Amino acid sequence: MKLLDIVRLILGNLNRRIGRVALTAVGVVIGTAAVVILVSLAIGLQKNANEQLYGIGDLTQIQVSPTYGGQVMMASGMGGGGGGGSSGSGVQQTALLTNPALDGLRAISGVVAVIPRDYLMSSLTLKFHRLESGSNVIGIGTDDLGQLGLEASQGVVSLARGTIVIGPMVAANFYDPNQRPGQATPAAPDLYDQNLTFVLIKYDQNGNEIRKTMTYKVVGVLAQTQGESDWSIYLRLDELKAMNEWAMGRRINYNKDGYSQVIVKVDSVDHVLDITNQITALGYQAYTPQSFVQGINNFYLILQIIFGGVGAIALLVAAIGIANTMAMAILERTREIGLMKAVGATNRDVLSIFLGEAAGIGFLGGLGGVLIGWLAGQGINVIALVYLAQQSASQGGTPPSVAVSTPVWLPIFALVFATLIGLISGLYPALRAATLVPVQALKYE
Amino acid sequence: METSLIQISNLTKHFQMGGTTVRALDGVDLDIPQQSFTVVMGPSGSGKSTLLYLIGGLDRPTGGQISVNGERLDGMDENKLALFRRHAVGFIFQSFNLIQSMNAEENVGFPMQFSGIPPKERKRRSKELLEQVGLADRGRHKPGELSGGQQQRVAAARALVNNPGLILADEPTGNLDSASGVGIMQLLSDLHHSGRAVLVVTHDARMVRFATHKVFLLDGKIVSEDQYHRASLE
Repeated sequence: MKLLDIVRLILGNLNRRIGRVALTAVGVVIGTAAVVILVSLAIGLQKNANEQLYGIGDLTQIQVSPTYGGQVMMASGMGGGGGGGSSGSGVQQTALLTNPALDGLRAISGVVAVIPRDYLMSSLTLKFHRLESGSNVIGIGTDDLGQLGLEASQGVVSLARGTIVIGPMVAANFYDPNQRPGQATPAAPDLYDQNLTFVLIKYDQNGNEIRKTMTYKVVGVLAQTQGESDWSIYLRLDELKAMNEWAMGRRINYNKDGYSQVIVKVDSVDHVLDITNQITALGYQAYTPQSFVQGINNFYLILQIIFGGVGAIALLVAAIGIANTMAMAILERTREIGLMKAVGATNRDVLSIFLGEAAGIGFLGGLGGVLIGWLAGQGINVIALVYLAQQSASQGGTPPSVAVSTPVWLPIFALVFATLIGLISGLYPALRAATLVPVQALKYE
Repeated sequence: METSLIQISNLTKHFQMGGTTVRALDGVDLDIPQQSFTVVMGPSGSGKSTLLYLIGGLDRPTGGQISVNGERLDGMDENKLALFRRHAVGFIFQSFNLIQSMNAEENVGFPMQFSGIPPKERKRRSKELLEQVGLADRGRHKPGELSGGQQQRVAAARALVNNPGLILADEPTGNLDSASGVGIMQLLSDLHHSGRAVLVVTHDARMVRFATHKVFLLDGKIVSEDQYHRASLE
């Protein structure tokens, strides 16, 4: 029997019992729509979470800190002997980020750059005309902040002696220390291409305040990243080192003491976790937002499976409906099956026809379900996005771009799944039909 | 010498009904020649329909042998039996067995779907056969819109669609009024004269006048015409 003839016959048979087919298919429609909506919702939630997470920082960066040796509290109790801490039982080995250690990190395959950085360890007041502010000051071991994935909204991202690059929120922190009540708050100054005065403050043993004043030129304002760089000031590491040496009153030797933090830039997001593990194996502390992102993604994957499972239960109920409808159809059409066999239909022909009818109900229901699920998803998107946009407007932050997201594979998968459900439901009734003894089928009353 | 179309030897068919065994056919030997018009007569329960279904490959014997056109049916697998039914025989049933949702033309063309004949050819052949049985203008009518006699003619056209050498008719006039019954008998006779073998199971005595061969069945056994008539009188 030709495929086209089978399809034509199946369509004719379904059309004959259109009302019953439609009622049975409604179950599949509901199940498929539930799968599409719920899985789309889980995917939408994941997309949202990822969008927010990408603001945490560049996902191709790993923050590496040194490990300072010593006893570490272990849940299992006291660590064993202190024989050099090599056993690892509660004793961590010291791993400092010295220059040779940095070369070791650079040697790891997939590492693009290793950039040391340090924070200012002194009190600081920034002055710009009559305005004052405090800020996070970072000394960075590169002249090009572009290596960290930072971009300028004004000026450049390269550093030279006596210049700084500031985050976009730095200017907003400036205030007038002499502002009187009732006086208007000054607007955030435009600091680009201006000189900023750094006033470092430390105290001697007698509690006397000692100040040191320096001037830096703002050569660049960074574009917003929603990360630490937004409210930080970047300057060369050697200049920051000089500030810290002044503040602590002693020389800092990076070759001996090591850097307090190193940024390892990796060529691809896919390699981040692997390289993080390699760095940890070397004895350093390594942190990447990627591990967090992966945890979140795993959570959403489980959510998708659970949501999909809820929809699948609805489909399972529909499957019972299909099996019932097919069993009824075969009872009603027993004589017709007998006739089919009498005029030369093989068992395989009969099986194909009845399986095809069951799969057809699944397919039609799936088609309706996909359509309704997709439309409902679009509807939820419109309503939810308006609500979420209001929420983020009142609480700050960027509004989510999507609430329910239906990837192309989902409707295709749902349609195939619904058809398969129909096919499986029809298997038993169709097998019964195919194996009927022709003479008994013909005599069936 | 006439060559045999159907050769049957020691054919038995037993059914289990509750706890007892019913011997529907009990050691039948039969030889039916090519291009014959055979009428099988017998009262209800004599096993005549069972014999027809076994010859048509719609059922399997309990014992014995059946050959049609030299092909042994006993022992044939399901698939081969289906192909045998498709090509070698055409059935006409008492209750017509037409598909109510299909019109006459579609009903006639229905068996050709299983042979993979293209729709255009099916349509052409269905029209031709309906014309042959005198229903050229009824092709678009559904079974519900046709008389009993007309429905049986559609069924006869359907039986011819794969051009089989043997037509098996099970009480073809049983559900028809007298005039329609005669019409169907004449049609079967025409089919016989066109070169086909026809085997009719009936208890309609009028059919005998068309017969070239007569078979009488009583309680699953073949008997002579005399024995049959004597039994009918008792």
